[in-house]
Amino acid sequence: MDKNKIKTLRDLVAESAECYGDKTFLKERKGKDVAETSFNELYENSKRINRFLTEKFGGRTVHAALIGATSSAYLEAYFGTSCSGNVIIPLDAQLKEEDLCDHLRRSDSEVIFFDKKFMPVLDSVRRNCPMIKEFVCLQDTDKETCIPQIIRDYEPSDFGDVSPEQLAAILFTSGTTGLSKGVMLLHSNLIDNTMCQDNESSTDDVLLSVLPVHHVYCFTCDILLSLRYGATVCVNDSMMHISQNLKFFKPTLMLVVPMIAETIYKKMKAVYDASPDIPMKTIADNVFGGNLRGLYSGGAYLNPRLAEDYRNLGIPIAQGYGMTECSPRISTAHLDDENLNSIGTIVNGCSVKIVDGEIWAKSPSVMKGYYKNPEATAEALTSDGWLRTGDLGYVDSTNHLYITGRKKNLIILSNGENVSPEELENKFSGLEWLSEVLVYAEDGMITAEAYLNQEFLNENGIDKTAGIFKNHVNDINKTVSTAKAIRRLRLRDVEFDKTTSKKIRREQSVRGQLIS
Amino acid sequence: MLEQIKEMIMNYVDVEAEMITADARFIEDLHFNSYDFMSFLGEVEETFDIIVEEEDVLNIRTVGEAVAYIENLKA
Repeated sequence: MDKNKIKTLRDLVAESAECYGDKTFLKERKGKDVAETSFNELYENSKRINRFLTEKFGGRTVHAALIGATSSAYLEAYFGTSCSGNVIIPLDAQLKEEDLCDHLRRSDSEVIFFDKKFMPVLDSVRRNCPMIKEFVCLQDTDKETCIPQIIRDYEPSDFGDVSPEQLAAILFTSGTTGLSKGVMLLHSNLIDNTMCQDNESSTDDVLLSVLPVHHVYCFTCDILLSLRYGATVCVNDSMMHISQNLKFFKPTLMLVVPMIAETIYKKMKAVYDASPDIPMKTIADNVFGGNLRGLYSGGAYLNPRLAEDYRNLGIPIAQGYGMTECSPRISTAHLDDENLNSIGTIVNGCSVKIVDGEIWAKSPSVMKGYYKNPEATAEALTSDGWLRTGDLGYVDSTNHLYITGRKKNLIILSNGENVSPEELENKFSGLEWLSEVLVYAEDGMITAEAYLNQEFLNENGIDKTAGIFKNHVNDINKTVSTAKAIRRLRLRDVEFDKTTSKKIRREQSVRGQLIS
Repeated sequence: MLEQIKEMIMNYVDVEAEMITADARFIEDLHFNSYDFMSFLGEVEETFDIIVEEEDVLNIRTVGEAVAYIENLKA
């Protein structure tokens, strides 16, 4: 593919069909069968979605939310929407009803493409989001309009003109202000990040896609790069089935978060410890299917020792770094890079400078801003286009980037999920029995530590103080995704240390008593 | 079945066998991470020839609940 011809997602999907035609782009397990979608089918079916939207909305630009797991229908909805100049809003498939409605309203969505597991909440969505005019299920159903029906009933309609500077997607990301922010990515942003490196993959590659596709890391590096290089993407249908799917699809490449690499290594080591006569390399070949030439890790810190352990098995792990606001890649490692402590070299076209210890990045991949949030945009972007990443780090003389800490308070769990402590702390506001609360990560678990309003509790004769705290946390956990659930509780006898401006310090020298 | 499950659990987490009781919680007590746990359930599917539904995963919090879930599907 001539990358100089590709300026928009429309160009990329059209050119992939031109270059790779009937070659298989996507493989999905359906029971004992495997459904395959070619590059041509992806293009043609996306154009059917385009016709559906054009007929429903008279050709005006619409915002369409998309919630579900990786599938041909998901990608057809994604490209059918974005390639015609409409805006796609990929949402976290773990969102609970309340957050889903909030994201739909704040993104001005008029269409929702949804996985059938959201059927039970549609009545609520219809009530709370009256601006949604079209509900489209990703799977076959006779209860709602659905993608398979659109593909059966609508002829493909060529995409209209779309400019590289047009908005392609809005992606919600956790923010330190507590409210998630909608990152606006243009066609030019996503295309720049797809084209910024060369020779990363080929038509011979088979990828097992295991990460959530609403994250731009998975979308750019699994989906868009495979469209560029003509690689085949195999869908991991459930986190429960990674082991089976590795053996079944025998991938050559896989994008992971460190937690996945750690667990697979632990399992291989357990097999080796039980049967030391079998070489680890043989075990690894068996676990990964025998064709794996490397892993790409991102989303969280990768322990260099784990990278070394994998390298000793002949499986290099290349660690990258980025953020949604940068589509996402700022740096990426090469599989043959010996430097395991760095988070890779800065990608082509991206400039990085260190300001007061913080990494700033500037590139054509950097977002337009946060949707309808000029204050947050001004905080993240300088007037001359530098993105303040909030991460602390440095660059060495060989252009390798290193991270030393996080300026922001975001909790980054080892599975790469970002959790804003303020967002959870806000859920404790207005409680008379509570004086102060702090949320942080401890041993990889989200922990809430409280200092109760003892006077209120005494006055009201409440003596089961731990119970009232636990019950409230249980209620909160019902309203948040599994990743954000509070797993550990602490109660303290003294109030938290504060700054001179009376803000609770996030680093406390004394921890409260563990109660759960 | 509890003994078989115990052996499987010890391939994922570094805990003493006596800690793996019916009341032990996978995440809080046995220190499974979310991916360990999903991977473990995948192995349960293969070992016991059952299908674990994604929507049931949140209801399997303790070793005892896992055993009961498997026994229910095998019954």
